[in-house]
Amino acid sequence: MQDPSSIPATSGSGAGLPIQLEEARRELRDDILRGHGGRAALARFSDRLDAIVRHIVAAAPPTPQSVAVVAIGGYGRRQLSLHSDIDLLILFGGHLGDAEEKTLRAILHPLWDLGLVVGHQVREIEEFGRLEVDNPEFLMALVDARPIAGDRALFDRFESAFHHAGTHAHVVGALNALIDERYALFNSTLYQLEPDVKESPGALRDLTATRWIAALTDPSLIRRGVEDPSKIEEAEDFLLRVRSILHLESKRNHNQLTHQLQEHAADILGYPGAFPQQRVERLMSDYFRHARVVMRSLAWMRKAAPTPAGLNLGRTSDGIRFIDMRQAVVQPATWLAAFQAAIDHACPVSDSALAAIRQHAERFRVEDFFPTPAHRTALLRFLRPAPGLYARLSEMHDCGLLGRMFPPFQAITYRVVRDFFHKYTVDEHTLLTIRNLERLATRPEPDRQRFSSLLQDLDAPELLVLALLLHDVGKWRDDDHHVESVRMARDMFGRIGLPQDACDTVEFLIANHLAMSQVAFRRDTEDPEIVRTFAELVGVEDRLKMLCLMTLADVEAVSLETLTPWRAELLWRLFVDTYNHLTMGYGDELIDATQPGNAELLAHRPADLSESDITRFLEGLPRRYLRLFDSDAIYRHVRLARDIRPDEIHLSMEQKGAAWELTVVTLDKPFLFSNISGVLSSFGMDILRGHAMTSPNGLVLDVFQFTDSERFLELNPGARDQMFKVLNDVVSGRASVTERLRGRARSLFNRRPRRVTPVVHADNTSSKRYTIIDIIADDELGLLYRISRVMSQNGCDVDLVLITTEGRRAIDVFHITKAGRKLSGAEQAELSAHLQRVLEDGYEAD
Amino acid sequence: MKLIKSIVRPNKVDEVKDALTKIGISGMTVTEVRGHGKQKGHTAIYRGKEYNVSLLPKMQIEVVVSDSIVDDAIKAIVQSARTGEIGDGRVFVLPVEQTYKIRTGEKDSV
Repeated sequence: MQDPSSIPATSGSGAGLPIQLEEARRELRDDILRGHGGRAALARFSDRLDAIVRHIVAAAPPTPQSVAVVAIGGYGRRQLSLHSDIDLLILFGGHLGDAEEKTLRAILHPLWDLGLVVGHQVREIEEFGRLEVDNPEFLMALVDARPIAGDRALFDRFESAFHHAGTHAHVVGALNALIDERYALFNSTLYQLEPDVKESPGALRDLTATRWIAALTDPSLIRRGVEDPSKIEEAEDFLLRVRSILHLESKRNHNQLTHQLQEHAADILGYPGAFPQQRVERLMSDYFRHARVVMRSLAWMRKAAPTPAGLNLGRTSDGIRFIDMRQAVVQPATWLAAFQAAIDHACPVSDSALAAIRQHAERFRVEDFFPTPAHRTALLRFLRPAPGLYARLSEMHDCGLLGRMFPPFQAITYRVVRDFFHKYTVDEHTLLTIRNLERLATRPEPDRQRFSSLLQDLDAPELLVLALLLHDVGKWRDDDHHVESVRMARDMFGRIGLPQDACDTVEFLIANHLAMSQVAFRRDTEDPEIVRTFAELVGVEDRLKMLCLMTLADVEAVSLETLTPWRAELLWRLFVDTYNHLTMGYGDELIDATQPGNAELLAHRPADLSESDITRFLEGLPRRYLRLFDSDAIYRHVRLARDIRPDEIHLSMEQKGAAWELTVVTLDKPFLFSNISGVLSSFGMDILRGHAMTSPNGLVLDVFQFTDSERFLELNPGARDQMFKVLNDVVSGRASVTERLRGRARSLFNRRPRRVTPVVHADNTSSKRYTIIDIIADDELGLLYRISRVMSQNGCDVDLVLITTEGRRAIDVFHITKAGRKLSGAEQAELSAHLQRVLEDGYEAD
Repeated sequence: MKLIKSIVRPNKVDEVKDALTKIGISGMTVTEVRGHGKQKGHTAIYRGKEYNVSLLPKMQIEVVVSDSIVDDAIKAIVQSARTGEIGDGRVFVLPVEQTYKIRTGEKDSV
């Protein structure tokens, strides 16, 4: 098994291996008998074993997958004693097949034939993607991993997968627990009359633990410890020399220094004395002296070591600190991670780290803090409302970092704007808005629960925090601050690489951050026209929720008295009325030729689309459509709809983050919506959100976003075509969705315990054209299919659907008609009862 | 002297204040209140669930005026607060026996 990038293998035949092993053992035995079986002798013995292992690996048959053979534990530390186990990690670059099994046998069998006790662990590299929390001893042994043979690059991949803060923190935690357990076995004292030189307090395991903790937290601790490093090395050499004697004398892996073995050890190590007792006393006196050094070192290390909290970050009693300060001050891109770690560990950033940042922040620009997309993603993660966000942002502000990362924020530092209401400087008001949001996310007051639920609904609450952070930066000027805030924020967007749709949302929020309070507190919200105009401004539910929360947080941050329960109620009522308008009234507002935005769509249309293609497609769709989709998506939809004929279904599908988006264009027919949603369910797809729209001329546009938890689309090359074919067959009537769903009957129709009490609400007043059915139920596979099928069974046409999933709740709003008109009271009652039955009792067969 | 207590829509406060100022009444107390009259609130729906909004947010404006301008004050309030819809509010007129300035202890005459 040769590889150009491999760890060098020794040459020669394997026939002499028993001789090589025996020579190595004899050499070690001689060292031990001379009293020199310590660090150097064990390292030499380990090297001899390395050579033998390399011989064996080189002779093993090649595999399609790369392989690395790694010494771990004591062998990895090059402290292999005469009868120690040979601990090996055999690492493969891919899936283990027959060839790899064969290689494995070709490595292990010769080792066993040599009479070695091999402690082997076999892993695929991908397995290091998750932590083996149930195997702490293995994880600790990996700290000493040392490549012996095979592919060096594979070993490097293992190292980068294993060595990160999460693993380090876990290993240190597990190690501390094991130390406590081990100490309990020895009554926590090193002064044992017959100590175990490996396990006792102050013995070899403590020494290894001391080094592990330093290696996993802060390597400089070894240098700074309570004992001089040379004393620790001296203790180690002594303990190893004693242990070697025990292995030699007992001819096995025996580590207890019994009374009898104490005499042998004292003799071999040459302790003076006329009587054995005198020699033993001198040996044991040395043992306790060394063990005390080791035990004290470990105790200090356990106290001093920070908990690993990230790259070059540790948590101590002072909070998060940089492990290597010199490295940290020249790497501003790592600073945000300190504040993120403080949030993750629910502690502050240490004074030492803040002082270093304060001293050096001035040297850097925005781009230095966020040089890569990963850093920019980390920034958005950091801005998610979480306990401690306000405190961390305040620390960043105090040490001057916030103003460097967000230069617009610098403009409002200590800024005083005098008015009757504001009680704080603009910078503190801004940070308080974020604190208010944080409270809503973590521990809302009882009367704020309803607002808190809006925050939980948001897909990207970090955009709301970003908007709050920048909403008042324009107050460095005295006029029209929201206009200036937008201008300054736009400059930031590019510098932190914010995606365009996120820019649009943040800009909208900043530009309109006063709009909702003005309407809620100063307009007659009983007037439907006021609500309609406000709904027009916000456009879609997500923006409404964000603006509502922004208003709440902003008003509350003005002073302690500003957000009265009275104002909160006004705000909530405007929210509810607007939400209902957006979700239940939109069916009456259709696109016509004079619709603002149409002209722009026509003017910028791609060459392959004519004006009439676009106007024909848009005419009669709800105006909401123009707010939901950008122009590129609209042009794609127009292409899908062009020249469509009855029984045809035009489809497109793309992956969007963790979800997939399916767009369906066809002409309306009975059971269409339930058939489409049924097909998706039959492939195991969980529909999260979407929109179904029907124009008066019968054109149907459905857009579904769904997750594919079984990874059907990802793992099967022909999956997309297969799904499209089934959709075609079912919609055109060539196949039955019911048949397809039988295979999934168990998962679809055997209900899990209910978490959400289902709600069915029928409304005939919110829309002039439609009966609206609001449904709230547990989100589960096949829900939309079951609901829409009941509607079709009751003779209803499903014209418009809004599909939303919030946590485990599905919130679906259907606009339906029956024979072109709204449902009568009796029809509503019958349908509602049928739906309620299906949602409560499970599936009803056709 | 009379105490005129008006319950008006929140969005009408500025108009009422302006109307009172125009007839020379500048001192007033404005309070956020909640309640209902004949309007008795209404049923709101949020996500399919109905809930009764019985106590509606209103503003209470209190002014103390001399008897001679009570009618003008009431007229100004009614005209400026009126929309013609249910929920426009109420005006109550109560007698005031005496008023004192707290700073000086001096008995006041409106």
